[in-house]
Amino acid sequence: MPSFKRHLSRFFIRMGLAIFTFLALGPVIWAVVTSLLPLTALTSRPPDLDPLNMTLENYRLVLDSSRGLFSGLINSFIIATFTSTVGLIIGSMAAYALARLKMPGSSLLLMMILATQMFPGIVIAIPLFLVMSRMQLVDTHFALIVVYLSFTLPIVIWILKGFFESVPMELERAAAVDGATPLQTFQHIVLPISLPPLFATGVFVFIEAWNEFFFAIILTRIHVKTAPIAIAEFSGQYQTLYGQMLASAVLASIPVVLLAILFRRFVLEGFVEGAIKA
Amino acid sequence: MDKNRILARLSRRDFLKVAGIGAASIAAGNVLAACAPQPSGPTKLNVLVPAAPDPAPPGVAKFSEEAFAKWKTDNNVEVVYEAPPWPQLHDKMAANFASGQYVHDVMYNCGWVPEFAGYLVDFVKDLPKELIADLPASSFSTVTWDGKKLGVVFTLSLLTMFYNTEHLEKAGIKEPPKNWDELKGMAKQLTGGGQYGWVLNYGAPEGIGGVASYWMCFLQQAGGKLYGDDGMPAFNNEAGVQALQVMVDLMESTDPGSISYVGINDATNVFSSGQASMMMNWPFMWKPANDPASSKVVGKVGTAILPAGPVGSASIDGTDAYTIAKLSPNPDTARKLIEFYLDKEVQKRQVLDTGWLPIRLSVLNDPEVQAAAPNAAIILEQAKNPYDSFVTPDYNAVTTAIGVEIQKALAGSESAADAIKNASDQVTEIVKKRG
Amino acid sequence: MQQTNAFNRRRIRMGIWFTAPAIIVLLTVLAYPIMASWVLSFLRVRFAGQGLNFQFYGLTNYTDMLTNQLFREALVRSIYFTFVEVIVVLFLALLVALMLNHPLGRHAFFRVVLLVPWALAPVANAVLWKWIYNANYGILNQVLIRLGLIEQNIIWLGSPLLALNMILLADIWKAVPFIALLLLAGLQNIPSYLYKAARLDGANTWQQFQHVTLPGLKTTLIISIVLQSIWALKVFDLIYVLTKGSPADSTVLLNYLSWRETFSNLDVGYGAAIANVLFVLMFMLALVYIRALRPRQTKEKKG
Repeated sequence: MPSFKRHLSRFFIRMGLAIFTFLALGPVIWAVVTSLLPLTALTSRPPDLDPLNMTLENYRLVLDSSRGLFSGLINSFIIATFTSTVGLIIGSMAAYALARLKMPGSSLLLMMILATQMFPGIVIAIPLFLVMSRMQLVDTHFALIVVYLSFTLPIVIWILKGFFESVPMELERAAAVDGATPLQTFQHIVLPISLPPLFATGVFVFIEAWNEFFFAIILTRIHVKTAPIAIAEFSGQYQTLYGQMLASAVLASIPVVLLAILFRRFVLEGFVEGAIKA
Repeated sequence: MDKNRILARLSRRDFLKVAGIGAASIAAGNVLAACAPQPSGPTKLNVLVPAAPDPAPPGVAKFSEEAFAKWKTDNNVEVVYEAPPWPQLHDKMAANFASGQYVHDVMYNCGWVPEFAGYLVDFVKDLPKELIADLPASSFSTVTWDGKKLGVVFTLSLLTMFYNTEHLEKAGIKEPPKNWDELKGMAKQLTGGGQYGWVLNYGAPEGIGGVASYWMCFLQQAGGKLYGDDGMPAFNNEAGVQALQVMVDLMESTDPGSISYVGINDATNVFSSGQASMMMNWPFMWKPANDPASSKVVGKVGTAILPAGPVGSASIDGTDAYTIAKLSPNPDTARKLIEFYLDKEVQKRQVLDTGWLPIRLSVLNDPEVQAAAPNAAIILEQAKNPYDSFVTPDYNAVTTAIGVEIQKALAGSESAADAIKNASDQVTEIVKKRG
Repeated sequence: MQQTNAFNRRRIRMGIWFTAPAIIVLLTVLAYPIMASWVLSFLRVRFAGQGLNFQFYGLTNYTDMLTNQLFREALVRSIYFTFVEVIVVLFLALLVALMLNHPLGRHAFFRVVLLVPWALAPVANAVLWKWIYNANYGILNQVLIRLGLIEQNIIWLGSPLLALNMILLADIWKAVPFIALLLLAGLQNIPSYLYKAARLDGANTWQQFQHVTLPGLKTTLIISIVLQSIWALKVFDLIYVLTKGSPADSTVLLNYLSWRETFSNLDVGYGAAIANVLFVLMFMLALVYIRALRPRQTKEKKG
């Protein structure tokens, strides 16, 4: 009788979900615990996890305005939002064109787009910095937005192209028969049923722009300090302040997690059937 | 469906409009700001320093704030700091110099002066005589290249011995080790039951504070030096091998995690938690080791000069210095700023408030300073012995090559003699390539 | 379905308008740096007083590189790292995606949990793992000793092979969320009537997986493999923070070596040569995957 099998499989799935949650959250919870304890407690063996020792001192030191975490968060937010919005728009358009609208040389174009991803940032950094500094664009939001766009567009295009290709043609043909232009088909038929991949890529671009570190270091000086730079300040040559660094990292991750919670509805629904039913 | 209505309202064109306007306005704003005519007024100095708690000047680290404000008004100067985390300094400077554009007037430098020598001003000759007389002459060895003094070290930072007074007492040891034999013997005695006699960060090969630089202390204690007069490596000899052998011999009393500690902070944590009895460290460590929030050995820390090798004691210079860029439009004002950083009162507050020792001999000998920083006297004592860091333009490549071989010897996969020979060969290649 | 020439032309024009913005961004930002990277590898670049000094060097950077033992070792390590990471990440991400697609896992909570490792800034992530792996105070040793699985602290980052694999582990942890999210989107893309049809044909769970899920995921899987390979070859932050290449350069991978040569040793030409080798490696890998595994376009449009 399938009932026993079903119970067994449900049990395994529950176990799997529990293990998954533990592995995903475990290290982060440890980060939070570390940020709440003084170093002396952490260097005891075994670590002295007495809740009475817990202190918000690390958080206080981090939020002290001279550290710049707040401005770092705001700068990161501006940059990440612009990058993801613009990236999704022009990326999805390009992906749709490459998926559907017959373009000469599109597979070559695709490989070249992907190829830009393959250059390690290290070497691109110096020539890019040279150009940006001659154009007085160092330490501006614009510079980072445009650079992050160039890093993430190939991925957006590749991922969305795959999904657009798998949208059933009947829907689009029906729209064409009704007299819709490719633009309208894209906007009103294809996009609404592509919300999960759009969400995935949107979140991807946002997080990449939010967390990017190397070019943020090279292309900013004082005014456009991003969150990762503010976090990295706690790791110096002579001292690494684990507690404070992890406290600032926790604080810096909260906006991203909040956004994910905000947009969660965009992933929860199956969609193709919905479209077909409609 | 909800989603569709929302999407229909916000049509793609609207998105584009908003995004376009937004991007354009940010770009315009940035360009406008860059193009804005500079108000004729105070001279602007751009300064690149590490973020505190690494050695930083007033304005970045919290000391001498009033004096700094007064200096700025008196001299009509505006100081704009860029203070990235220490590990990013070298990358930033490399990118800035490569661009050939003026970015900073004053820069912090640590062992990179010969590397960037072509971009720096030799301003030391223009410093007031009484200031130069108050600085230890050998502190200039790491900031001099091609006969020109290109920077000023602002904190006397030499490696010295730190030890746990309680551990030594319990083991019946009256005084910290004075020579290599005592060092090895005491370390062995102090090891056992989860405690170790010695800890250090052997995890990073390159630079000052890397494993190669630690070996250089022992090298000089054995009377050796890194380069000969011809600029070629001169350490493939008894001194070089002996120096490495001491480190290898110490391994049985060393915290095994040492090979994985990349930053000195990791080793300091072990010492401060009372698990290791001795280590080498920079004078800065005195403060956090006596801070109850991060240390369990408060009041139990002692310092001494490094144990003597066959020739004597020796150390290396941490070489935290200020330099001036050739492309600076205001080199004289920049020099005045450095003079301010080296002012007696400022130097005094530097040690009392942030823990970084002064460089001026008069301040080091000040009784108030000696009372607040007991290790100042030890540093002065250590400074009577050699403390060359052997800095050259390819310091990173050289120390990486040597450091990797040392790590192999410490792990036991190579003999000390082989390691030194291999290191010497590789350094020869590097020096030849430099040409 | 007959399409008129005018219709065709309009579609192509539409296509160009649609792709133009993205292409423009990519070209303006990356064209010069990428070309510069190629050119630099044939030059000897020195830091000299006013900007940079360039000297034609021919293929010397490349020959130096190929005869250099460290480069060869780094190459082998990078390939190993990528190979293992791609396999493990794909496997774990698929498991996670399947679980999150199951009715029991279809809860916002799990999706947020998925995001958390990914949201952590890379610097902090690296420092966190360094702290977890700490020989004396790291939680990993503490937990294992508590559970009685080991007796003494293991120096996770102290021996060559172990250090490399611990870095691998940390990177896998960070990489799984995105790939899982991607695969999840791919799973949701598979219409449920296909499953119903399979069930009507008498397929059990495993057969459904084989004949409905996997084929439906094919494109997503290929994209995931390509992207994950590229990212695995680019690993940098973890090496920089956790080991700096130690012990004895045994955790030096190609991208880290390129950085070290470019920024630490200021040998920009040589660093560029290494970066170009990395590029060629990634390019070839991508070609192999795409050519070998891609179904023909026409077959896919049958649906």
